[in-house]
Amino acid sequence: MDKGALKFRSFFIKYGTLLSVLILLIIFSLFVPNFSNPQNLINILRQMALLTIISEGFTMCLIVGELDLSFANVASLSSVVVATMLVNKANPLSAVLLTLLIGFVFGLANGLLITKVGISAMIVTLATGIIAQGLAFMYTKGVSVYGSMPKGFLTLGRGSVGPIPSLVIIMALVVVFFHVLTNRTKVGRYMEATGQNPTAAYLAGISVNLYKILGMIFSSLGAAFVGILLTSRLGSATPTGGAGFLMDGFATSLLGMTVLGLGRASPFGTFIGALLIGLLNNGMTLLGAPYYIQDITKGSIIILAVAITSSQSRKLGK
Amino acid sequence: MEILSTRNLTKEFPGVLALDKVNFNLEEGEIHGLVGENGAGKSTLVKVLSGVYPPTHGEIYIKGEKISFNSPKDSLNLIGVVYQERELIPYFNGIQNLFLGQEKSRIGFLSIKEMMEEALNFAKKYDLEVDLNTPVCQLNSGKQEMITILKILFREPKIMIFDEPTAPLSLKESEILFNLIRQLKEEGITILYISHRLEEIENLCDRISILRNGKMVCTAKKGELSQKEIIELMIDKEFTDQYPIIDRTIGSDLLNVKNYCCIKEGIDDISFHIRAGEIVGFGGLVGSGRTELAKAIFTGTKKDQGIVYLDNQNLKSKKPSHNISQGLVMVPEDRRNEGTLVQLSVSENLSLPHLNNMSSFGFLNFDTIKEHVNNIVKALSIKIFSLKQEVWTLSGGNQQKVSLGKWFGKDAKVWIFDEPTRGIDVESKREIYLIMQKLAKDGCGIWFISSDLRELTAICNRVYIMKDFKIVSEFSKPFDSKALLSAMLGGNIDG
Repeated sequence: MDKGALKFRSFFIKYGTLLSVLILLIIFSLFVPNFSNPQNLINILRQMALLTIISEGFTMCLIVGELDLSFANVASLSSVVVATMLVNKANPLSAVLLTLLIGFVFGLANGLLITKVGISAMIVTLATGIIAQGLAFMYTKGVSVYGSMPKGFLTLGRGSVGPIPSLVIIMALVVVFFHVLTNRTKVGRYMEATGQNPTAAYLAGISVNLYKILGMIFSSLGAAFVGILLTSRLGSATPTGGAGFLMDGFATSLLGMTVLGLGRASPFGTFIGALLIGLLNNGMTLLGAPYYIQDITKGSIIILAVAITSSQSRKLGK
Repeated sequence: MEILSTRNLTKEFPGVLALDKVNFNLEEGEIHGLVGENGAGKSTLVKVLSGVYPPTHGEIYIKGEKISFNSPKDSLNLIGVVYQERELIPYFNGIQNLFLGQEKSRIGFLSIKEMMEEALNFAKKYDLEVDLNTPVCQLNSGKQEMITILKILFREPKIMIFDEPTAPLSLKESEILFNLIRQLKEEGITILYISHRLEEIENLCDRISILRNGKMVCTAKKGELSQKEIIELMIDKEFTDQYPIIDRTIGSDLLNVKNYCCIKEGIDDISFHIRAGEIVGFGGLVGSGRTELAKAIFTGTKKDQGIVYLDNQNLKSKKPSHNISQGLVMVPEDRRNEGTLVQLSVSENLSLPHLNNMSSFGFLNFDTIKEHVNNIVKALSIKIFSLKQEVWTLSGGNQQKVSLGKWFGKDAKVWIFDEPTRGIDVESKREIYLIMQKLAKDGCGIWFISSDLRELTAICNRVYIMKDFKIVSEFSKPFDSKALLSAMLGGNIDG
């Protein structure tokens, strides 16, 4: 193989997903009316905010080498719990904290069952996810929760600072938080070491189980936070409100794993993955494509992105 | 001065007494060799000493004080262990691996620059040329080993344990390692060195201890025991001959490779041939392309040029299954991942390639399978207590027998053995040599890849030496070991 082709390939592996984001941006700006006006670009960021936040949490459990199938249902449960409390005039701050505590408990339970009892993450989180869904129905008796909620709480999901919606600001903070955590802190480095080679990490004196549990907690906590934001955005909640996040969250993180070209989960990658999905959703809606076409396109893009990086890296022998 | 000693150290696993009242000591500043067959308890001893396993009975003393480690964390700054499996984080670079578990940080934030400087200075101290900025998964195995050692050293342990460190290393890299170990000794670090290679032990160690079946058989000073005596003590049996020879007659060409090119694997224009009844050695350094060549031909990787004749048939296939049916089989180097399915039973492994002939309408015929498997187990004397035993529970030698035994009954004409004796005990090695020679005697051709010159010269009819993905020379019996060695190293010994 000549050098040029090799260079081209490694370039593709490294920046393939970033490149597709760019290409998508250009195509949509050229062919979709109103796509590139600033208001729409802000809309895109607002629309993708919740998905990004929940995927960032999920990414943390991928980083420690585990899996979480429960996060979407934990988001649903959190959403109805916080809504019910607020409609019943609870103190907003304690309602929010209590809901986050629910997320924390789910993450802790997932983590303990995986590390201490030794059940595989897929089974544990499938089961706890079903439990969370059941609890959400039990709590609401199966109906949606509405009623008046404190204004301050609603600003969380609806307000804005100048032209920037608060959700976008929250999203940015979450992404930066996780990015700094994984790249700049001891905790983050230990989580990555745990995910990549648990034996080596253990022998280096790292409490592998602790960091696995932490990864699971981040995933559930992120989900609970998104449940709260969802309620705040909608002003109401349904017991299946978070269900849609499962597939999209997976899609986002999987796309994210192609961003650095290494098959390696990262908060930055996940953000790019979310951006790709956000752009697609928005652009295709503006084009008037029906929702099923959007789903088919999203699925195809995931396969394409993963196929390109994996086949290219195979050719490079990595 | 005694730095470490054990008293009646015992470790029991369900059904196995891995260590049996081991009394053992290390003098401060010595290099102490530990030898023993696979399954003798060497690795268990290391893991108990470093706190990975708690002992069932017995005590460990360091400088006369009784200690008990609850986890590897507790022993890190006293005892550093370079394990057989390299314990690195693949996507982390050298610096990140070096500091793993003891990162420098301020309020939880990593001090990246500071760590980088310290790591580079540290590597300079030991004069090792390793790239500390590349993710370690992109480095070759020798460099990875060096980083592993640096990582352990970095914790400034009083005692360092090396568990089979030279297995993945080339000759040149091994030399670097030995110099490093001697340098460590001068710095006053005590070293426990475990190896199957007795020459290494003899050259390097001040004292030797021998483990057999979990018992400490003896400890001797350098020069007190000959190699033959050491081996006798290890295998508990009158040692007769390490390289048994079976006479065999040589027939016509079975495998004939002409101008074989496979650019993708880096192979350019290779020709050689293997005759019936012949054992043909492929010697060379690690990374000289021997495995790549064998794998490319066995798996039928698309070739760019050349012809491969197997028993006078042009071998044109693109997949292993076709080659196997034509009579070409391979016993890969990595027996745990490629040679066997370790989670499956001995019976399932040995019958896997034969299921077509041992089933009717897709349903397995268990009687036939059992008969077939029993025959192989008997023929190869695989030591198991049940056919349902999972392969990962077997010792290395028995795993290797399962790996090669799966091809019995395939009427293979040419067998490729890739480092079949690596990391297995002396007794199993003998058995493997016998198996290879019996196959040759029955009219098969044996393609024998090995980095051990002594075994190559002992049992091969001819030896090809490969260097940089080319066959550089061919030798026939009687072999001149020095000529072989210099062919491997070539003019450029730094290679």
